[in-house]
Amino acid sequence: MTVQTPSASAIRLRPPHNRIERRAILWWTLQSLALFGPILAGTVVAYVQWDSARSWLIALLIGAALLTMVSVVIEPWWRYAVHRWETTDEAVYGLTGWLVREWRVAPISRIQTVDAVRGPLEQLLGLATLRVTTASSRGAIEIAGLDADVAAEVAERLTTITRQTPGDAT
Amino acid sequence: MGNNGCAPWQRLHSRMIWVDLVQSVLSLAPAGLAVWMFGVDPRGGGLWPLLAVAASGVIGAVSDALRWIFTRYRVTDQYVERRSGVLVRSYRSVRRDRIRSVDIEAKLRHRLAGLRVVNIGAGQQAAAGESALALDAVSAKDAEQLRHLLLRRGSVSPSTLDVDVPTADDVAHLAVADGAADEQVLARFRPGWVVYNMLNIWAYIMALGLLWGGYWLADSFGIDVVGVARDTLDWEVLGWGWTIGIGVLGVSALGVIGLATNFFAEHWNFELARVPGEHGTMLRTRQGLLRTREVNRDDGRMRGVQIAEPVLWRWMGMADTTVITTGLSIWSMSQPTAILPRGPIGVARPVTAAVLATEPNPLEVPLRRHPSAALRRRLWWATAITATVVGMLGWLAAHDVIPAATLWAGVALGPVAFGAGVIAFRALGHAIAGEYVVFRSGLVSRATAALQRSAVSTIAIRESLLQRRLGLNTVSAMTAAGHGIYEAPDIAADEAIRFAADTATGILDPFLITASDQDVADAVDRREPG
Repeated sequence: MTVQTPSASAIRLRPPHNRIERRAILWWTLQSLALFGPILAGTVVAYVQWDSARSWLIALLIGAALLTMVSVVIEPWWRYAVHRWETTDEAVYGLTGWLVREWRVAPISRIQTVDAVRGPLEQLLGLATLRVTTASSRGAIEIAGLDADVAAEVAERLTTITRQTPGDAT
Repeated sequence: MGNNGCAPWQRLHSRMIWVDLVQSVLSLAPAGLAVWMFGVDPRGGGLWPLLAVAASGVIGAVSDALRWIFTRYRVTDQYVERRSGVLVRSYRSVRRDRIRSVDIEAKLRHRLAGLRVVNIGAGQQAAAGESALALDAVSAKDAEQLRHLLLRRGSVSPSTLDVDVPTADDVAHLAVADGAADEQVLARFRPGWVVYNMLNIWAYIMALGLLWGGYWLADSFGIDVVGVARDTLDWEVLGWGWTIGIGVLGVSALGVIGLATNFFAEHWNFELARVPGEHGTMLRTRQGLLRTREVNRDDGRMRGVQIAEPVLWRWMGMADTTVITTGLSIWSMSQPTAILPRGPIGVARPVTAAVLATEPNPLEVPLRRHPSAALRRRLWWATAITATVVGMLGWLAAHDVIPAATLWAGVALGPVAFGAGVIAFRALGHAIAGEYVVFRSGLVSRATAALQRSAVSTIAIRESLLQRRLGLNTVSAMTAAGHGIYEAPDIAADEAIRFAADTATGILDPFLITASDQDVADAVDRREPG
């Protein structure tokens, strides 16, 4: 839909239509555990073993415990509630983030590459990340937590549209 | 391969051999002087820097002479080719229709012999300082003729032959001084600009480097620098304060003089001009005293300009001017995107107006202020940073790692952080001016960037937790040119969407809804249960 002359402050940016898969919550939880688990374990072991440095390590231990709890328990659910995505014939639109939310739109006429990327945890859970890059090194859009088949199909559709859209994409 | 087989392979200019010979003799001179005139013991250890100079000079000259012997080049209809290499033979060819720039450089030893180094660029990333093909060296006249031949300047004087593609035989016949009438000079060197380049923190680093070099040089000649200094500066009489003061003053003066000399050597005869090129006009800068550099920037790839004003020198009106363009590396040491040396803003403004050549001038348009909530956000961050630093210092002091007096240093950070927040807030601004969008922000260096709206590819709106409480958004425009991303931080939320929609020229429009549409959608949702 088009926007006529913006009167007063009446225009808003709507969020994208599609949500990501629920399995992505499990994926983010496992990722955070894999990252912060060893750190927390190491700090605990150091605290237990190393008596003399306990007054220092207590601060480190509290910090590591807080980080682990937040990133394992709070972050995945918050991200799932926020992340959305949408592709039309002219643009790719993504909403990502948890503490810092970002609405990001890239026009298909400027797209240079389209990838469906799958890390080891994603392959286990049947998820994929759609990565769309433009000529600008900072202009890429990443949509994580998509179902693998959906991501592959969207990547193929975008590639077809990009091929048909004229322009040199700079 | 070139299909014009009758173009002969040429050698580089023979005067290079003489240059190499002179270089060998000159690099042996300091060591010789030290031994014969100053009587330094050649077996002593102090001679090693001069011996290193002599060795590197002679080895460099000999290897350069060998390179000259084994190098040949030629220009055919479609290719520029070069064969070279002493132990490893290499052959390099560049397609002539891929050539984007032909830069002519001249180091001091080349200038004295009337030679030039021709660097042919084919549009590759210039980050490594590499050109696609370098010819070191040809005579000055040949260099100019090569450049005219390879760039095929749009305006050709009537004395040239009437052919589509000048062949290699025309190199000797092309007039050198054609096209000069179509150049539009935008800026020329002014010696007063040295003031803007002398005042820099690098002055101290340069001074230290010069002192270090001078110390070793004098030591090699057997002069005891520390003893001389002690004799002249009798610090017993002067006392600590004066001695340190004189020392700092001396180092500063040395650094400032060093920077000034460097500025003159690098920017002498600076000239910024718009010249006709093969596919339209180009912005050409020429500068240099001992080593002249020329960079041509295609106007077709230019997407905007940026003027950056360092905060400490804003009272002087110091400004750095760069172009926002694709195809030039902004991280390169030689700064190809800078179209003016650091100088007064009174020169930067009219030059950028002439470079952009649009009405209204994007850099003169009044910028919209950002809401006071942006100032509150910056003050909150200043408070948080000060509190964190004081907390950490306090914790360290409680464990007796550092004396408690350092806590005051942390507390003193408070006013500084607050001041920085206010300065950063006052630097914010944004505007839409015709087909350009203008961003201004920055604490250490206030940068005003005017970017073509058609160059914006991805558009992003960002909101952090604190920004959501204060009702602010940050709009980022991503583009293939310049830094890749240009941001307008902390705009009021509703204005941010309008600004982003205007910047992005239609990319955001399918996703915008007006309030009335939202009410209709809500009504539809309410009418349909579940």
